[in-house]
Amino acid sequence: MAPGRGPMPLDEETVRRIATRLEEGEAGVAARLRALEVYREQPLPRRSLHLWRYTDPAALMPDGLGPLPAEAGGAPGPVPGRPAAAVLLRPGEHPGIEGTLPAGVTVEPLDGGDPRLGRAVPEVRGPFEAMNRAAFDAGVLVRVAPGTAVEGPVWIRAASGGGAFLPRILVDVGEGATVTVVEEHVGGAGGFRIAVTEILAGPGARVEHVPIQRLDDGARGHLTVRTVADAGASVATSFVSLGGTLVKMDLGARLAGEGASSELLGFLLGGDGQRFDHHTVHRHEAPRGRSDIGFRTVLTGRSRSAYTGLIRIEQEARGVEAYQENRNLLLSKEARADTIPELEILNEDVQCTHGATVSPVDPDQAFYLESRGLDPVEAERLIVGGFLEPTLARVPGGVRELLEPVIAARLEALGAGR
Amino acid sequence: MSGNDRIADLNRDYAERYGFHDAEDYLLKAPRGISHEVVEMISRTKGEPEWMRETRHRALDLFLAKPLPDWGNTELLASIDFDAIHYYIKPSEGSERSWDDVPENIKQTFERLGVPEAERKFLAGVTAQYESEVVYHSIREDLEKLGVIFTDMDTALREHPELVRKHFGTVVPPGDNTFSALNTAVWSGGSFIYVPPGTKVDVPLQAYFRINARNMGQFERTLIVVDEDASVHYIEGCTAPVYSEDSLHAAVVELIAMPGARIRYTTIQNWSTNVFNLVTKRAKAYERAVVEWVDGNIGSRLTMKYPAIILAGEGAHGEMLSVAFAGTGQHQDAGAKMIHLAPDTTSRIVSKSISKGEGRSSYRGLVKIVPGASGCRTNVECDALLIGEKARSDTYPTMEIAENDVRVEHEARVSRLADEQIFYLQSRGLDEDTARLMIVNGFIEPFVKELPMEYAVELNRLIELEMEGSVG
Repeated sequence: MAPGRGPMPLDEETVRRIATRLEEGEAGVAARLRALEVYREQPLPRRSLHLWRYTDPAALMPDGLGPLPAEAGGAPGPVPGRPAAAVLLRPGEHPGIEGTLPAGVTVEPLDGGDPRLGRAVPEVRGPFEAMNRAAFDAGVLVRVAPGTAVEGPVWIRAASGGGAFLPRILVDVGEGATVTVVEEHVGGAGGFRIAVTEILAGPGARVEHVPIQRLDDGARGHLTVRTVADAGASVATSFVSLGGTLVKMDLGARLAGEGASSELLGFLLGGDGQRFDHHTVHRHEAPRGRSDIGFRTVLTGRSRSAYTGLIRIEQEARGVEAYQENRNLLLSKEARADTIPELEILNEDVQCTHGATVSPVDPDQAFYLESRGLDPVEAERLIVGGFLEPTLARVPGGVRELLEPVIAARLEALGAGR
Repeated sequence: MSGNDRIADLNRDYAERYGFHDAEDYLLKAPRGISHEVVEMISRTKGEPEWMRETRHRALDLFLAKPLPDWGNTELLASIDFDAIHYYIKPSEGSERSWDDVPENIKQTFERLGVPEAERKFLAGVTAQYESEVVYHSIREDLEKLGVIFTDMDTALREHPELVRKHFGTVVPPGDNTFSALNTAVWSGGSFIYVPPGTKVDVPLQAYFRINARNMGQFERTLIVVDEDASVHYIEGCTAPVYSEDSLHAAVVELIAMPGARIRYTTIQNWSTNVFNLVTKRAKAYERAVVEWVDGNIGSRLTMKYPAIILAGEGAHGEMLSVAFAGTGQHQDAGAKMIHLAPDTTSRIVSKSISKGEGRSSYRGLVKIVPGASGCRTNVECDALLIGEKARSDTYPTMEIAENDVRVEHEARVSRLADEQIFYLQSRGLDEDTARLMIVNGFIEPFVKELPMEYAVELNRLIELEMEGSVG
């Protein structure tokens, strides 16, 4: 894709075609067309903004939305662990859903007219978000009734071939309910994945969200995830970025109610010429919130990571504690890490720190391990494995099973990759 | 009133406290606004060489073509009325050497700034900039004997044209940014220093600056070249009276540290709170050279200042130590840039900021390491203290690291003036005012201790005055 182009052309007919294919009513069509207007009015973001400093937005724009694939109902297929439900999202199809759900939990196709859409990710957020709102071609709605605890994750797998795929996920968690949602992105070779996920955590709800990006080589993507946490809600996000050629991931939470908390832990493992761009944001809008961000990158080959992270504490959000850490391990001469951890603090009653580091493997740690008989490559693998542990330690069982062989293969390549 | 509210009043009442405002008495004042005619007039009045005249005109074209920054406090930036500014004012004929020759009214102003005090002490030379032109300039004889050149830029351009031409605009090219373009077009005054190889200047060189006219722009241009294994400490300080109309200050400072050279550049700006202080400061450090910025931002309405050090030679070291103080109506948008172009270069940034009342301070910085610059180490520490329910602090550090054999660390903390600390000190018998003052003094201590003695005293006294006035 030659960079420097404008937004992808998108017309009303295409939007209507998608809505018809997903059997949406007038409300869905109308809401999508309103988003289309917003999309058309938005230029590509300026590169002078930190958010887009390291990635050309044009490089993530699909050429256009091609014809939807021929009708073919898909089954999610096996997912590891013991999920409460397995969901498959494919372009132009209703979600394939398997599993037996406890009372109070529903997993169903997402309708474009759902009034909750846009609450966490409004279409004015940017062209990719507006494009998805207007033209998402597969969507799932997960609802958890107040007080319900769901055992095992709801595992959502978004899969596609080439071309553009615009999946959308909406999770609405009632007061005091508990749920884990895994969002796994696979496939997409040669295509574009423009995804949006919104999570609404009601008062006192506990939500675990596990976005895993393991797109094919050659895939490009822009993935947006936002949580709105009401009073006393707590959100734990564990994200993993492994695949794709050029992928931007924009993750965050609005701590909208008093005493809400959010913890965002994640890592990326980059190799070859992969380019990653991550943004995290914690926006404190209410008093006595707590938030923590920990993002780690391991870069080999000519891979490159750009990270911008923001903690914003509004004037009315008093008594907030917020932390942010970004650590980058550069394991090859050509790897590159750019990082901008930002703070915007609008009142004095806060405790806030952030830190960032960029370095190779700590030579003291390597020396220690080598003095215990490990060869340098083994020592490095062990250190890198330990570096990823904080995120791995808290992902649900099935996710760990899924990731371990992938990570082992990447670490195996470490010695050779230099 | 709560203690915090009282502290929120810090930094007001300049007029009563410092009361500088002498009647304007200028020999030549350019019309308001900027144009090629104004630039031509400035250059002809000064009798400049052709190359400088052309440089100015080219820079003006660049300025007119460049947009204002679309980042930072764009709202305040957009409020600058460039057409309402005088781009050149010449106060009196020539440059005087002896204090006795300085006009009486100007002297009175400097008296209040403490220049004669400094003169009586151990200072080597004083370049006092009153408006756009240097009016007073004394150099100690032994400096001249060492071959050190310390003069104003206009004189340097006349007396050392080849030296100025060789280095002018090499560190900050005219087109670097909107305000460096403007400065290059209309610059006037500023200091020029050249220190020959191996020469250590063991007393600090100082200049005082003031703005004293309605809507007057100050566009001084400073160039310091320190040759191999030589060293110098330059001090620039400003205090300005209060005016109702906004004033623009857009200086350019270029430092060149040849191999093994050492430069320390100390500034404390205390412009009145209507001044826009949009300054480009940059140093180039060659092999084993050391450059240190010690930078205090107390005054102005909006300061945008990110002193940079280009570490161009192996083993060069850059250091930035800064303190910012933002009261209600002020935005201190300051930071530092360290560009590591060569292997084994090291840098350190320590930034302290205090936001009080509705004041806002932002740290905006860049650490960049290019491919091949192995063995670099850099450490950034930002500390922000908030005093007041509506005080604001931002941190925008950028790190661009394209080499793996490096160590990059950044750390920032934001906290309030803690009640527990005040309570603790009160329980040890201190009154509340003293307790607050002590905590603030402790917070900026790492900065203050790097200042020359009389500056440290001045800064401490200023903080003390502000704190006394606010907790009364």
